[in-house]
Amino acid sequence: MISVFAYEFFRNALVAGLLASVACGVIGTYVVVRKMVSLSGGVSHAAFGGIGLGYYLGLDPILSATVFTVAVALGMGELSLRQRQNLDTIIGAVWAAGMALGILFVYLTPGFAPDLFGYLFGNILLVPREDLVLMGALVAVILLVVALFFRDLFAVTFDEEYARVMNLPVERISLLLLVLVALTVVMLIQVVGIILVIALLTIPAAIAREFSSRLGLMMALAVALGAVFTVSGIVLSYLLNVPSGATIILVAAGVYGAVMGMRTLFPRD
Amino acid sequence: MSGDPVIDVRGVSVTLGGRPVLEDVDFRVEKGDFYAVIGPNGGGKSTLLKVILGLIRPSAGTVRVLGGTPVERRHLLGYVPQYRTFDFSYPVTVGEMVLSGRLGHIRNFPRRYGQEDRDAADRAMATMGIGDLAGQEIGALSGGQQQRAIIARALVGDPEVLILDEPTVYVDAPTGEHFLDLLVGLRERMTVLLVTHDVGVLSSRVTKIACLNRRIFTHDTAEITGDMLKGAYGCPVDLIAHGLPHRVLGEHEGEERP
Repeated sequence: MISVFAYEFFRNALVAGLLASVACGVIGTYVVVRKMVSLSGGVSHAAFGGIGLGYYLGLDPILSATVFTVAVALGMGELSLRQRQNLDTIIGAVWAAGMALGILFVYLTPGFAPDLFGYLFGNILLVPREDLVLMGALVAVILLVVALFFRDLFAVTFDEEYARVMNLPVERISLLLLVLVALTVVMLIQVVGIILVIALLTIPAAIAREFSSRLGLMMALAVALGAVFTVSGIVLSYLLNVPSGATIILVAAGVYGAVMGMRTLFPRD
Repeated sequence: MSGDPVIDVRGVSVTLGGRPVLEDVDFRVEKGDFYAVIGPNGGGKSTLLKVILGLIRPSAGTVRVLGGTPVERRHLLGYVPQYRTFDFSYPVTVGEMVLSGRLGHIRNFPRRYGQEDRDAADRAMATMGIGDLAGQEIGALSGGQQQRAIIARALVGDPEVLILDEPTVYVDAPTGEHFLDLLVGLRERMTVLLVTHDVGVLSSRVTKIACLNRRIFTHDTAEITGDMLKGAYGCPVDLIAHGLPHRVLGEHEGEERP
């Protein structure tokens, strides 16, 4: 087992998992407390359209997915803020349309069909060193933005109406949060894939909520839990020779189930 | 009363989803008033407050707040929304929640709380008698304690006008009475405007009463007159059902007014 750490691909996988844990712990906390789980699901599936577009145009799929996903998130936010559309309905449309667009672009791209399975379910063992640099930069941006706007993000996610009465820039902060979710989703695609993103975004934060009464503490705990889940998932998947993304998610879901079970047996007083 | 009214609503109509909610509402609150707007559920009370707070744009009429538009001035108002408009399972302590009421006054970037803000939060929690709960998670509080925390958040910005939407609806009658007494204590520092469908908690404490049921009926005194009751259809039913303290009624005019 120890010898596997000598391989660069394995070390890269662990670093990618840890970087993703930081992003999903911090942003996942907002997703859970603001109840944006299905919104994040819509954004992540729309990202597949960006990946297909990247293939079609001959661009780096992750880069094109980043731009595309941020644009989709902003569009969804604008629609729900300005048009007073039902966000739930928009999510459903964007969810399916993004996937459809991805499939269409890949079909239209001449030549060898890319490994779509890797994008749908993740393949962390194939993350190249250059992508680690990009992920590191994304994590740094996410942390900086959250640090600078921590009070604003709290006010808007806690009580949007009161934030409006205090004349805080509610629209801009809401859109900023959507951009952060989009960036996090793109980063998580590398680790667990589009279909499993939701779990890594919500499960660590949901467990952390059980043990923390403050937002900052919840974030720190969610990051730590995410790190445990990704590292143990990667190691387990290597030992059992099974897909890494699915293993990470099942480890996380197993712990979540155990915590919920404990809460049922021993409720908080 | 001298000077301009702190809240001046003129000819305001609001239509929500094709249904008229407010019709030609004229309504003024003077500095130092303790103003209660009563009326049945669905009579447009919350809508009136949201128009004053600039959260709903009227389809007709004008609203002036402290000499400006609602959006320009609303950060000078303290707002107590109807209980449970936000999620009490949010991971936040009472102290942090109350402190967040200062954010409207913090212009620096990034927004950071200073000592002045923390002192204001301590004072507001002391006023509401929840100083010892500062470290508690809001989800762990009782209904009455949560309502005190929401009022403390509204007080922490030292508002010119305190606006309360159904402040007693989720608390038992003695607690409701106690809230009213607390608000009376605040009157020396700020103007108070509250709406309620529960007339039982009102008494000689208020200085003015209006009755709202799509249209508004004001008398600029603390009396509920027969005209107001007749006008605001549905009001009197509520009044009787809740056992209105009779000193507010017209027939005891001039007896025990504050």
